[in-house]
Amino acid sequence: MSSEIAGDTLRDELSRPAGQQKAPHGKKRKGVTERDRPLWLLAPGGILITVIILIPLVLAVYMSVIDLDQYTLRKWLATPFIGIENFVEAITKTDLLRSIWISVSFAVISTVVTVPLGVAAAVVTQNPYRGRAVVRAVFLIPYVLPSFVVATVWRTMLQPDGIVNGVLHNVGIDPGLWLNGPLSYWTLVFVEIWAAWPFVYLLALAGLQSVDHEVHEAAAIDGALWWRKLREVIFPYLKGPVSLAFLLGTLNHINNFTLPFVLFGAPAPADVNVLPILVYVTSFQSFRFGLSAAMAVVSLILIAIPLFIYLRAVKLDVSDDGGKK
Amino acid sequence: MEITRRNFIAGVGGVGALSLALAACGGSPKSSGSGTGKVDGTGKTLTVLVSTKPQYPDEQKAWFAQTAADFKTLTGAGIQWETYPTANDEMTRIQTSVVSGTGPDVYGLGTTFTPTAYSTGAFVKLGDAEWNQVGGKDKFVPATLGISGPDANNQIGIPFVSRPFVMAYNTELLKAAGIEKPATTWDEFADHGKKMTKAGQYGLAIAYKDNFDPWKFIWGMSIQGGNPIIDGKKVRIDDPTVLAAYEAYFGWMTKDKSVDPAAVGWGNAQALAAFAAGKAGYFPMTSPLSIPTLDKSAVKGKYKYALLPMVPPGQTARPSGGVAAASILSGDNLVVADYSPNKDLAFAFIKMITDTAAQANYYKIFGEIPTNVEAAKALQSDPLVAPALDAASKSVATPFSGAWGDVQLALTNVAVQTIPDLSSGSVSEASLAGRLKDAQSKAQAALDRAK
Repeated sequence: MSSEIAGDTLRDELSRPAGQQKAPHGKKRKGVTERDRPLWLLAPGGILITVIILIPLVLAVYMSVIDLDQYTLRKWLATPFIGIENFVEAITKTDLLRSIWISVSFAVISTVVTVPLGVAAAVVTQNPYRGRAVVRAVFLIPYVLPSFVVATVWRTMLQPDGIVNGVLHNVGIDPGLWLNGPLSYWTLVFVEIWAAWPFVYLLALAGLQSVDHEVHEAAAIDGALWWRKLREVIFPYLKGPVSLAFLLGTLNHINNFTLPFVLFGAPAPADVNVLPILVYVTSFQSFRFGLSAAMAVVSLILIAIPLFIYLRAVKLDVSDDGGKK
Repeated sequence: MEITRRNFIAGVGGVGALSLALAACGGSPKSSGSGTGKVDGTGKTLTVLVSTKPQYPDEQKAWFAQTAADFKTLTGAGIQWETYPTANDEMTRIQTSVVSGTGPDVYGLGTTFTPTAYSTGAFVKLGDAEWNQVGGKDKFVPATLGISGPDANNQIGIPFVSRPFVMAYNTELLKAAGIEKPATTWDEFADHGKKMTKAGQYGLAIAYKDNFDPWKFIWGMSIQGGNPIIDGKKVRIDDPTVLAAYEAYFGWMTKDKSVDPAAVGWGNAQALAAFAAGKAGYFPMTSPLSIPTLDKSAVKGKYKYALLPMVPPGQTARPSGGVAAASILSGDNLVVADYSPNKDLAFAFIKMITDTAAQANYYKIFGEIPTNVEAAKALQSDPLVAPALDAASKSVATPFSGAWGDVQLALTNVAVQTIPDLSSGSVSEASLAGRLKDAQSKAQAALDRAK
């Protein structure tokens, strides 16, 4: 089939390390799908990527090497070039590294908790039963609520004299402050998990839907009990969607600005001074646009390294069948 | 909206790229009038950016319509109103306009943001001609001009409304505690707070979690002690006056127990609500804008305003060099964008809304204190508002420096990071000193960059 040829060729191209000679079997004539491909059809996507990603990225890198602040903003094209000074300042004189650590740890913890929650919820709602539609709808509530609303409601409930402390006080527990101090980090993790797990649930549900009916039958005929069937038959189907959920979830957590901003305000308490808040305060309260762009570039690089390793490990970029193998 | 790195970059940088294209298509701006006499704006539209008034949405809409109609009659030009809901949106709008060189002709700015706006160089500096166009400097209450620019010859802000900070007090609670008149020193204030605190009632309503209140207290007490915080080329956050100010401010809760422990999570609105419920004797750091709320509350007819204390903590009289600052100079300034092709129209508009009748009308609708001398004088007969007018005339401008935003941020951050200690019941001098040191170095770095 031509699609198989295309798939194989594409895989060959991608799996060959840059700069290496093509393997002998790759010298065969180009397949029919490689000749005269209408690449111009990629133009709309290419233009969008250029406008939305590449130009801002180039601007960010440019801003990170100039002394752009409130005094130079008006004539930003004539702003003095200062090389790596912003980077040195970002790393040595600001809370950048601490903020990166807070952001990454918070994001990873949130993801590690939301993934099993989401998968479990998907499994629970996979088989039809009375009231399943209602359960599925309820599961989606945290996901459809805007982040601003979620944060506002939780902020109100977690006030020192709020409902949460009121209830805990009645059972003899005095938890202290939720929105400042060491507990605030766990507040952020908890609220993020509350708001984000349905995303994993949705992706896992989509994965489960793709399991052929015959597979269930075959497993039943082979006498597999539920746990074995789940572990050895169903979970392999979920590898692709859940890997994707892990990746997108972690990035979403790292980039989430609204939740910490509304929950804790700016300037944020030190324990929840996450990266987006730090960049925001540096940009829009201190007006150090060059410095904040340098922070953004540093964090982009630091986050891109594990991301790249992870992408290679799960082969999300090269798998042509959604990880069904 | 989630403001991520990319959004931010697209916002600031992308607009910049766009501005090149716009500049290429825009052509050269032309002035709309001669600068004297009646301005003819027929067929033109003036764009005005002001803050929204969430308390008075319908009234603001009606005021927009009426003002636009009056302006049409006066000049023949229309007005396109634009609004911003928060200070953050205000900053974002200004930054994008500054970068792109396009946007509103007239901006309504919070007074403390005026130094930052000035430092961008994107707004018209007011010479004699411009002041004449708006009706002359003399028509404004002199104190309100204190934050229009770094000095009298370099001003960009035309005062529109004054929002001086005063202290609300519950007349019944003061009387019950045997207090004859409101405190005039901060020590007396703390003492009164203790006297009025009893079961279910606290002497003071303080918004410790507010994003603005803390620095206003600290700056006020410091300048009363002779420390303006920015002193020439030096930031003085590591000064003993600042430490004393923070100790007094936190001490109301930790030592005196005169503040509801829940106040560690309060913004100004929650503190106002506690006062409005009759559960607090003093509510400092408010303005006559709280009248509508208080008049609908349990304390209706039982509250008055007074000047905030003007003697620093630990003192019985202001030390030499101390400034009698009743409030920060607060309110709104109007500025005209340098890129505006409608400058004459803009000044005609500002003249119109700062004239006596318009200012009196604005006060009637929104409760905002006029900056116009005549309109302010007319209010002096109202005993409820008189202390606010007094505070307006005794307001002192925060230092006019592009670094002020960072100083403000550093002072607020000290309060934010101290809240866990405050909640646990004790703020040690060592931890406070450490935070002040950090604030000092950050603020000093910002001042060193100031141009």
